[in-house]
Amino acid sequence: MIGTQTLPRQFNWRPFFQKYGLLMSLLLLCLALSVASDRFLTSDNLLNVLRQSSINGIISIGMMMVILTRGIDLSVGSVLALSAVIGADMLKNEGMPVLQAIGICLLVGAAAGAVNGFLVSWVNIPPFIATLGMMTFARGAAKFYTDGQPITGLDSLGQGFRYLGTAEVGPIPMPIIVAGLVFLGGAVLLNHVPFGRFIFGLGNNEEAAYLSGLPVNRIKLFVYMAAGTLSALAGIILVGRLNSAQPTAGEMYEFDAIAAVVVGGTSFDGGEGTVMGTLIGVLIIGIINNGLNLLDVSAFYQDITKGAVIALALLLHRAIR
Amino acid sequence: MTPSTTLSWQVTLGNVLRRTAVLLFLIALGLYFSSESEQFLTERNLTNIAQQNAHVIIVTIGMTLTMLVGGIDLSVGSVAALGGAVSAGLIVREGLPIEAAVILTLAMGFGIGLTNGALVVFGKLPPFVATLSMMGVARGLTLLYTNGKPISGMGEAYTRWGRDRLSVPVVGDVPLPVIVALAVVLLALLLLTRTRFGLHIYAVGGHQETSRLAGVPVSRVQLLTYGISGMLAALAGMLLAARLYSAQPQMGVGLELDAIASSVLGGVSLFGGVGNVPGAVIGGLLIGVLGNGMNLLRVASYQQQMIQGIVLVVAVTVDMYTKRLERR
Repeated sequence: MIGTQTLPRQFNWRPFFQKYGLLMSLLLLCLALSVASDRFLTSDNLLNVLRQSSINGIISIGMMMVILTRGIDLSVGSVLALSAVIGADMLKNEGMPVLQAIGICLLVGAAAGAVNGFLVSWVNIPPFIATLGMMTFARGAAKFYTDGQPITGLDSLGQGFRYLGTAEVGPIPMPIIVAGLVFLGGAVLLNHVPFGRFIFGLGNNEEAAYLSGLPVNRIKLFVYMAAGTLSALAGIILVGRLNSAQPTAGEMYEFDAIAAVVVGGTSFDGGEGTVMGTLIGVLIIGIINNGLNLLDVSAFYQDITKGAVIALALLLHRAIR
Repeated sequence: MTPSTTLSWQVTLGNVLRRTAVLLFLIALGLYFSSESEQFLTERNLTNIAQQNAHVIIVTIGMTLTMLVGGIDLSVGSVAALGGAVSAGLIVREGLPIEAAVILTLAMGFGIGLTNGALVVFGKLPPFVATLSMMGVARGLTLLYTNGKPISGMGEAYTRWGRDRLSVPVVGDVPLPVIVALAVVLLALLLLTRTRFGLHIYAVGGHQETSRLAGVPVSRVQLLTYGISGMLAALAGMLLAARLYSAQPQMGVGLELDAIASSVLGGVSLFGGVGNVPGAVIGGLLIGVLGNGMNLLRVASYQQQMIQGIVLVVAVTVDMYTKRLERR
């Protein structure tokens, strides 16, 4: 670090890095990519990154709340698929109005999340196992419901789905606006609403939270329901973009969301993490994907690079702390 | 867990008996399937179950070890695919003799496992994230090495390990992969119940800081368990490639989840320090028997998935509550 000598001696780098290290990694990544490819730093491409990150972003907020309570939700991808196919079926085959179909879709996600939350809190099953069971169950249910076939041709009927997936407000695609609202809602809830602070309290020390009278089980139920509902919302956007609901949609999405949340500084030990960090985590994952495509990196290298970058980002994070 | 309990055979047997909930579940399931389908309880079908699940059992053993030290290994499925591909490639492309290829592949698996361990121990990464990254890296390396296409033509000396049977006195014909799996299970059992290293594994999983203060080489124990898990994953991948007559770059996807489910069904705690090999094997068999029985009863694959999800949650719940009753 050359600049160190010129700065006043009392400037302390450690808290600075702790606070802005993640943001600097993001900026460095952007800088490197804009040097490597002149297509990176165009408004079209940047909007593209944001649009592609919006689905992972929406899921990641739910995942973050779950991880804040020392839990994990492996079922988000399967729940996305199940709620999406049910919503699309209501729209196409049951002739339901769009808003109602969207409502059903969100309800399915919330219900799946409620089952997860119930199993984790009242039945006391480890979150990994409860949501692994839900992951398998919901995937099977999505395939069973559609007989393994995608539901297509929502164009004429599903204006609402298509609208959320493809419309633009001014220059900004709708998925970005939805994701932005979700992040805003998450930030308000986690930072300014007492119930949101409870989530941190629960994650910091469950026993203490219980003894000080926090509704521990209801908080857990809430975070898993939020994760399920947000997965369903992400599902609606995905269906809108693809104009079809696939029973295999969302496979491995849980891993992308977990990676984004953890890269964003949320701790598996619970109680520690910020919405801003998660946003940066989502963007880092999105920009890596985008950069690998821009640089024409073979698909075979993409898994390797993604894995390595996630590990490196975290190692750096640890080293700084 | 105190040293005396882990080291005595009687208590190990007691541990098996304490797992009666899941064992009874397995037996009840077996009885149900044999009453519904006369094909279930035939020698041929039972051999089939064992043969088809040998690689899952092997990976489950490695997973159990990492879970016992309080970790997890999500990379096993990808490492299995890489192991199958590299062993096949060494034989087919490089013309190495099978023994050399197998040893090199096992060493590679061990090395990958050690890397996982180093990320956890020295990099202080959560095991979930360290091995998740490795899952991506190993899958990518597999695709790169195979160029996305299966490698075949490993020859009879390799593929016989997937299907051939060995005539064992009294028992009858036993498939070679099952013999390999049995050997792994037996070695793991000895390792955990009869060696200092096994004792250390339980100690580290029980309480890391206390173990460190008591002089347990915590880092080395963790490194080695991840190494063994990687090596066993590579072994499982070779058996799988042998059974399929080719190393498929996409094989082993989701294997880590099967192995984790097996371990947990078998009573291995996700928080470390609790669990044993017989339990994990019973958990693996439960998943195998369930799949096989549903196939015999012609349950459609989509419903099978739904039932598997429910059984996992129900079995773990029942197991937890029986243990809680016992404690009273």
